[in-house]
Amino acid sequence: MSPRTRAWLVAVGGSGLAALLVAACFGLPEFGGDSHPYGDRAVEASLAHRTANTIASVNFDQRAFDTLGELTILFAAVLGCVVLLRQTRDEHRARPRPAEVDPPVRRYALLVLPVALLTGLYVVAHGQLSPGGGFQGGVVAATALHLLYLGADYRALERVRPVGLYEVGDAVAVSAYLVTGVAALLGGAAFLANTLLPHGTFNTLSSGGTVPLLNAAVGMEVACAVVVLLARFLDQAVEIEEESGT
Amino acid sequence: MNGWILAATLTLGTGLAAALWGVATGPLRRRVVAQNLSTAVACPGLLLLAQGYDRPSYVDLALVLALLGPVGTLVFARLLGDELAENPPRARIATGAAAGFGAVVVLALCVVTGPGRATAKLLVTGALLIGGNLLASRALAGPAGAGKGSGAPWTTS
Amino acid sequence: MDHILIAVALVLVAAGATVAVATRDPARQSLVLAVLGVLLAVLFTVLQAPDVALSQLAVGSALTPLLLLLTVRKVRRRGQREGDDE
Repeated sequence: MSPRTRAWLVAVGGSGLAALLVAACFGLPEFGGDSHPYGDRAVEASLAHRTANTIASVNFDQRAFDTLGELTILFAAVLGCVVLLRQTRDEHRARPRPAEVDPPVRRYALLVLPVALLTGLYVVAHGQLSPGGGFQGGVVAATALHLLYLGADYRALERVRPVGLYEVGDAVAVSAYLVTGVAALLGGAAFLANTLLPHGTFNTLSSGGTVPLLNAAVGMEVACAVVVLLARFLDQAVEIEEESGT
Repeated sequence: MNGWILAATLTLGTGLAAALWGVATGPLRRRVVAQNLSTAVACPGLLLLAQGYDRPSYVDLALVLALLGPVGTLVFARLLGDELAENPPRARIATGAAAGFGAVVVLALCVVTGPGRATAKLLVTGALLIGGNLLASRALAGPAGAGKGSGAPWTTS
Repeated sequence: MDHILIAVALVLVAAGATVAVATRDPARQSLVLAVLGVLLAVLFTVLQAPDVALSQLAVGSALTPLLLLLTVRKVRRRGQREGDDE
């Protein structure tokens, strides 16, 4: 096929797609309209299980199986990174020189670290009530740990961060999600159905049935995954050097 | 008509447009300052939006931004330190103005909210935002900006 | 009022994304990306999607810049070493 024919083919296909998309746009409901068939049903289902944050109910109750898929994607992606960024035979570790950090930055990092960890846990724990949840809280908590790298140096971070434990934690959290799903199955309901726990009182911490449990599992998984991922990146950027010469 | 949303529109529209312009053009020293100021502008904007929509739980967004925004700037200060040390940024006036604006917004919202847990959360957010931004701006200026000699390369590990 | 705010946020995101694509140097690009993350978070908030906005803030403000800059540092170090060996 000559480039000219190919360009023609792309033009014809592209304009056809564009025409279809424009036609579809005219068929959409008006922007900001008040007809939300899916939204109304989701809110109803979320209120039936006394979950104040409908998004959390959609993610961890109505479509908890979807979230299991997302969890697996993150797990597999981090596993892939760990394999790709491992220390190979022609690389060696060099102790980095200790970093010179401005004392106010050091104080700020040490002061904000616990605050950020607490905020991460708060976001995970309130996932069923307010915006947030396992993913957001987990990332905040994992970022908080890396304030040690910013406030001191990589060796200080390494001392409080046994990567092996975080790898185990990552796997345990994914299994916890699966076990919660299987437990519902053993109880006679569908996989990951929200039947395991009482639904509790609306708008309190202990509401939503298994939503807080699944949120906690996701929070732990994400926090551990981010720590492991950043550990590999930091190793490569700071410590691991290729052998010079042949 | 909602005055809070109007204030948020003005804050976010002008402030973030300025931050985007600053981060898109000019030398590196100007770009890092603009990145730091984007946090300082967006966080009060998000607080105003939470008040305008009358949704107290949206304050969490501002809280997370106030925590992680300065951390992001510290990342840039640390890993671009070698480049910045040659030509350290100074933006006392802009940083001070942004911090003052954040303080005004937080105090105004505290007055409207009245005493209680929501106010405590607002105050924590404000303290983290202002403290974080002033410190991140100082960190960008590097050890040279803090009065130390910059003879030794600002090694990072 | 709300529509104006949404329009402002959309225009800013479009401008920010264009700038991010047009910037060539990875270090400068990661700065633009950090600001773009904040802009996206504002857009999600005005469209009443605070959960998504919170995810964007959590990932975009510190984690993405850290990953990008560590990668840039590794690549540059390797380039320097190869320069020394020659």
